[in-house]
Amino acid sequence: MNSGVKLLLRQKKAVIGLVIVVALCLMALFAPILAPNDPAARVGRSHQPPSISHVMGTTKMGRDVFSQFVWGARSSLAVGFATGIFITVLGTLIGLAGGYFGGRTDNILDLLTNAVLVIPNIPLLILLASFAGTVGPIAIMAIIALTSWPWGARMTRSQTLALRNREFVIAARMVGEPNWRIVFVEILPNLLPLIALNLVGSIIYAIVAQTTLEYLGFGDPLNVTWGTMLYNAQNSSAIIVGAWWDIAMPCAGIVLVGLGLSLLNFTFDEIANPQLRSGPALRRWLRLNRQRARELEAAR
Amino acid sequence: MRLPLRRLAIYGVAFLFAIVVNFFVPRLMPGSPVDGMIAQLGPRATPAAIEAIKARFGAVEQPLWEQFADYLKGLATLDLGVSVKYYPQTVVEVLGRSAGWTAFLVITAITFSLCIGTSLGALAAWRRGGRFDSFVSPFSIMMIAVPPVVIAVATLFTFGVALRWFPVGYAYNPNLDPGLSFTFFGSVFLHAIMPVLTLSPYLIGEFQTTMRTSMISVLGEDYVTMGRAKGLSETAVMFGYAARNAMLPVLTNLALMLGAVFGGSIVTEIVFNYPGLGLTLYTASVARDYPVIQGQLLLMTLATLGANLLVDLIYGIVDPRIGEART
Repeated sequence: MNSGVKLLLRQKKAVIGLVIVVALCLMALFAPILAPNDPAARVGRSHQPPSISHVMGTTKMGRDVFSQFVWGARSSLAVGFATGIFITVLGTLIGLAGGYFGGRTDNILDLLTNAVLVIPNIPLLILLASFAGTVGPIAIMAIIALTSWPWGARMTRSQTLALRNREFVIAARMVGEPNWRIVFVEILPNLLPLIALNLVGSIIYAIVAQTTLEYLGFGDPLNVTWGTMLYNAQNSSAIIVGAWWDIAMPCAGIVLVGLGLSLLNFTFDEIANPQLRSGPALRRWLRLNRQRARELEAAR
Repeated sequence: MRLPLRRLAIYGVAFLFAIVVNFFVPRLMPGSPVDGMIAQLGPRATPAAIEAIKARFGAVEQPLWEQFADYLKGLATLDLGVSVKYYPQTVVEVLGRSAGWTAFLVITAITFSLCIGTSLGALAAWRRGGRFDSFVSPFSIMMIAVPPVVIAVATLFTFGVALRWFPVGYAYNPNLDPGLSFTFFGSVFLHAIMPVLTLSPYLIGEFQTTMRTSMISVLGEDYVTMGRAKGLSETAVMFGYAARNAMLPVLTNLALMLGAVFGGSIVTEIVFNYPGLGLTLYTASVARDYPVIQGQLLLMTLATLGANLLVDLIYGIVDPRIGEART
């Protein structure tokens, strides 16, 4: 694990991504200090542009956009991360079970995975959410997680299939280790880069899906999140009246999380598939190659 | 051309899943959606209408399996029920009005993004680790992470409201009569620019990433080395030898992404007030018009399955090895 962290920190992209994500999480964590006012309180006139007293302006209802932005990060990030973890656990377990046990279990699980994979998620989410009425964060979490585990399950399954017949697994089986131990102690550690990739991807997806649902009005309107901020901005026609700050802030938050996480994801992808690496070493190699080609050309 | 049974089984299960969700979710939810819908109908709630809604959502004295059989019979005859919001109209009529616009939007966006995304991916893989690659590839991954809502709202504000370059809302100028005239097509084109540009970044990002990955592994193949050894030009090797074969995983990915594209188009249509399926779904969900929402899910599932089937067929033609390997 230590070497994994080191590998991560050696990549410039990963460090930038990590800094962005950690900074946003800290902002969410210290929301009461950064924005001591209640985000739902009316503190000014409607749609004030950014000024010293309201750094990011006010909404149609005269609420401070900065407070909403800081407090919204809490719910958006918490739901995003929790859902991402949930999706990853579900996908990894299903993929592991199918890939390791094979046979009929695998057949059924693989069929299920592929079937859920081709069902369009957002229409399904909207259907479930509209029958449930206005749904709280927990319900949103459950709905997103239950419809989006197949990506991870597929990746995990194919990797497990490749590992299942490797010598160390066969050896463990011969020694008589129980199945759960082979799966979790022998195979799982080899899947870590893949699981990291899956986790980051799932968090990104969860944040996108959550924002979409809340923007469509399925979130709890009293709960301040970046998605409901967008919903309120849309409903108060902030765009048409030119109150850009009202939409720019939640958008900026979502884009920043996306940027940070995807930079991390890019690095995990390169760790999981060494073939894709394009770090300093490869650049040096390419340069040397070109140089040699030039020399050969000159010598001819 | 034979399709592996397994693929068909997957599509069958997926479609069945959508049907089962459609049938059971309203019956399992706490509180009755039926009362809500009857209230929604207001003065139009004739006894016949109430009866139809009740039968569809299980508020009748009948065993569950009989209701399910009735439901399946309805589906088989393309009877998806009546819309609550546009009452005398059926769901099929309501969806039929808007499906064309969504198909137009989605197909245009996919074609546009496919050209740009695969080219960018091929170029990035060709000069892997170069300046182009280290800028474009992380940027593509970032594009995948930005929700369509954000892009739509930002595009609408920048090009629609602040710069006033493009019209905001509708699929064509409402003062024009739809017809085979240049002004009409021009208007349709102009109105589609912003929605298409909104849908594209995600797709371009996905295509670029997949293309780059698959191109990198293809570039290691012997036939690429062979092409180079023959002294072919760089472009001939890149497009004639490598990119052609690297396209295959992109095709698979395209079919799987279609669900996400529909998700994006729903949001895009709502933001730009574009009269497609997404907007219909949105108005239906605001009005709690459950039959329309259900029909929507079925239609979009069918479209996704159809596209997957199409890709399977194309795949078998483009790569003859697959047909044999899969069975």
